[in-house]
Amino acid sequence: TNGRRTSSGDLARTKILLLGQRRTGKTSILDVLFNDCGPKDTLYIERTTRVTKHTYDTVIPLEIWDCPGDITLEALEALDTPLSHFATIIFVMDIQDLYQPPITKLVSFVIAAYDQSPQTNLEVFVHKADALSEEYRIDNYRFLQQHILDELIDISSEYEQIQMNFALTSIHDHSLHDAFSRTLHKSIESLPYLEDLLNIFCYNSQSSKAFLFDLKSRLYVATDASPVDPPTHNLCSDYLLMLNSFGPLYSSHPASAPRSPFLSSTRPSALAPTINTADNTRQAPITKTLFYPSAGMTLTYQLITRKLALLAIIPSAVFEARRGLVEYNVVFFREGVQEICEVEDEARGGGG
Amino acid sequence: MKKKVVLMGASGSGKTSMRSLIFSNNPASLTARLGATIDVEQNHVRFLGDLILNLWDCGGQDTFMETYLAQQQSTIFQHVAVMIYVFEVESRNMSKDLAYYRGCLAALRKNSPEAAVFLLVHKIDLVRGDRAAVLERKTHELQQESADVEVTVFGTSIYDESLYKAWSRIVHTLIPNAAVLSKHLTVLAQACSATEVILFERTTFLVIATSTPPPASPTAITSPPTMSPSFSTPSSTHTSSNFTSTTYSRSIPHTSVQQDSDPHKLSPTRYERTSELIKAFKHACSRVREEFHSLEMELDDFTAVLDELTKNTYVLIVVHDPTIETAALRMNVRLARKKFEELQGDSLIS
Ligand SMILES: Nc1nc2c(ncn2[C@@H]2O[C@H](COP(=O)(O)OP(=O)(O)OP(=O)(O)O)[C@@H](O)[C@H]2O)c(=O)[nH]1
Ligand SMILES: Nc1nc2c(ncn2[C@@H]2O[C@H](COP(=O)(O)OP(=O)(O)O)[C@@H](O)[C@H]2O)c(=O)[nH]1
Ligand SMILES: [Mg+2]
Repeated sequence: TNGRRTSSGDLARTKILLLGQRRTGKTSILDVLFNDCGPKDTLYIERTTRVTKHTYDTVIPLEIWDCPGDITLEALEALDTPLSHFATIIFVMDIQDLYQPPITKLVSFVIAAYDQSPQTNLEVFVHKADALSEEYRIDNYRFLQQHILDELIDISSEYEQIQMNFALTSIHDHSLHDAFSRTLHKSIESLPYLEDLLNIFCYNSQSSKAFLFDLKSRLYVATDASPVDPPTHNLCSDYLLMLNSFGPLYSSHPASAPRSPFLSSTRPSALAPTINTADNTRQAPITKTLFYPSAGMTLTYQLITRKLALLAIIPSAVFEARRGLVEYNVVFFREGVQEICEVEDEARGGGG
Repeated sequence: MKKKVVLMGASGSGKTSMRSLIFSNNPASLTARLGATIDVEQNHVRFLGDLILNLWDCGGQDTFMETYLAQQQSTIFQHVAVMIYVFEVESRNMSKDLAYYRGCLAALRKNSPEAAVFLLVHKIDLVRGDRAAVLERKTHELQQESADVEVTVFGTSIYDESLYKAWSRIVHTLIPNAAVLSKHLTVLAQACSATEVILFERTTFLVIATSTPPPASPTAITSPPTMSPSFSTPSSTHTSSNFTSTTYSRSIPHTSVQQDSDPHKLSPTRYERTSELIKAFKHACSRVREEFHSLEMELDDFTAVLDELTKNTYVLIVVHDPTIETAALRMNVRLARKKFEELQGDSLIS
């Protein structure tokens, strides 16, 4: 798709653009997802005055552009990257902003993006959902969706076919992680292969649900075919959050990589000045944990690559009886994921 | 055995919030909904089976404070084991707070001369800039106000682990057999080839006792059982209390020894961070109607098991020896269960 290989031979990053009025929460979203910022710490984020690019490496390398709230279409087009180079554009709206101007502005960006490249994923995050009670939340959410779609059709009936996705999000619960995960999936070309591997794993291990999580951001890059049940997703996400902090507490060498317990020993940060996706393909240490939430079920965690972990829910009885089989399935799964990552890496022009 | 703990401090200083966090497993975000406490809210918290904390959360509005110090003085201040006085770090009216504090301290001395006094400089998260310096200044100020009374000062916030550190230290003074528990944890640690074994109370996840470091360390026998010297940070060392100032002077020279002989250099805030993390995760579990039972981890450079030890406690075993498997650790926990049930029963009745 768009801009896979750059002329300079650098890694071709999937570009995501964040747009929205001032103080709708764009920078908070990035910091909470990718910079280990607690939701409460976002209060002190300074306002964004110019376009800022954040890079993040997970199963695919990302480049996320954070824009100041008052950026205009002209200013955006004056940058050397045309809108069509973005795989995804996320519009962040404050759920309490029901005024016309932000909607009009959003619509004009949507049209410009669509005219240039109809394949671009267009996402609207109706954000700060926690600020309203349930009833108002749904009302405002519907109102904003309806208005945006109406306005598009008013401009031209051709725009009726624009595909847009809406999501209610908040940094104070799991909705942001879930919405961003789903957005990310659309840019992962190898997603079907990852999903196949997860389906096979679930089938062979009698797992009712399995996620492949990005460790640091706690976004899931893929899951098996069974529907995502929010409590299960939330439990897995909270479990990762706990593990990410727990590891360094009792690790003998927390100083080298304070934030990620699983990376510290073999990859001192000094030796790896630029992190790249090659980390996904390098052998990860065998790391696993088990958690027994309710009597009959076990949540297993297995490190797959240095950045990805498999979280799976398996009936405790099955797990007790067939531990060896599950571990064997993990080995098979790990090999599959590594292979996919290698292919992905090569296609991106990363150092293999 | 019942121990009376009074929680004092100005209205809005955060007494009820911390109580609900520590004893009711509520998240910090919900505390904003708490109303002012009217008069005294008494709670009985069963702690470690036979120890019952009788918690008196005393509403801090002026009218209540006046009656505590006048008509109700003996009711409030008699038979107190611990008084915890909460000061907001950025108090709107510190001189008034201090006047009430002096009143309470005097009443306490008169009615319960043996009571221990803990002062919490609370909402420390609101300080932008150098927290340690602010805390040091506050500590000094509070010690001056306390004159010859021994006090222990902590900086706390409901938004981080500092609250668990302070409360772990407070309940520790109330547990009669803490040293015995610690001794047995050390035995368990040796049986497991563990670096460390930590005992938590079940509902609060406060640290009750820890194993002492391996005998290679010369400080193992003399240092206080639960708090290894590296545990002390500025907030706990600046006190005027005899008890803590002795541990202070004792632990300072040992700190370097300890760290040299400790090959693992674990994070000094690990105990309170563990309490906080597990508590938060337990809460996350309950939100999705799951329960927290046990954990097994084989991480990059250590293995750990967190499991129920007795009806009222959880134990965390941390092993850095890669040859030890979690199954062996779980087996040892199972074997130790009976001993600890007995231990808990025995010495708490006396
Ligand atoms: N920033 C911050 N706010 C806190 C902290 N602890 C409590 N609060 C807030 O302080 C407010 C008052 O807390 P309460 O626990 O009701 O105060 P109280 O001491 O019980 O007050 P009275 O019952 O009237 O004596 C609540 O809005 C809490 O959310 C803290 O550590 N940091
Ligand atoms: N209640 C609530 N506040 C949020 C949420 N996300 C961000 N905020 C707050 O919104 C404010 C503006 O956020 P910021 O990221 O600077 O907005 P930006 O200008 O779009 O980058 C900050 O004070 C955040 O704490 C959310 O999900 N819920
Ligand atoms: Mg109160």
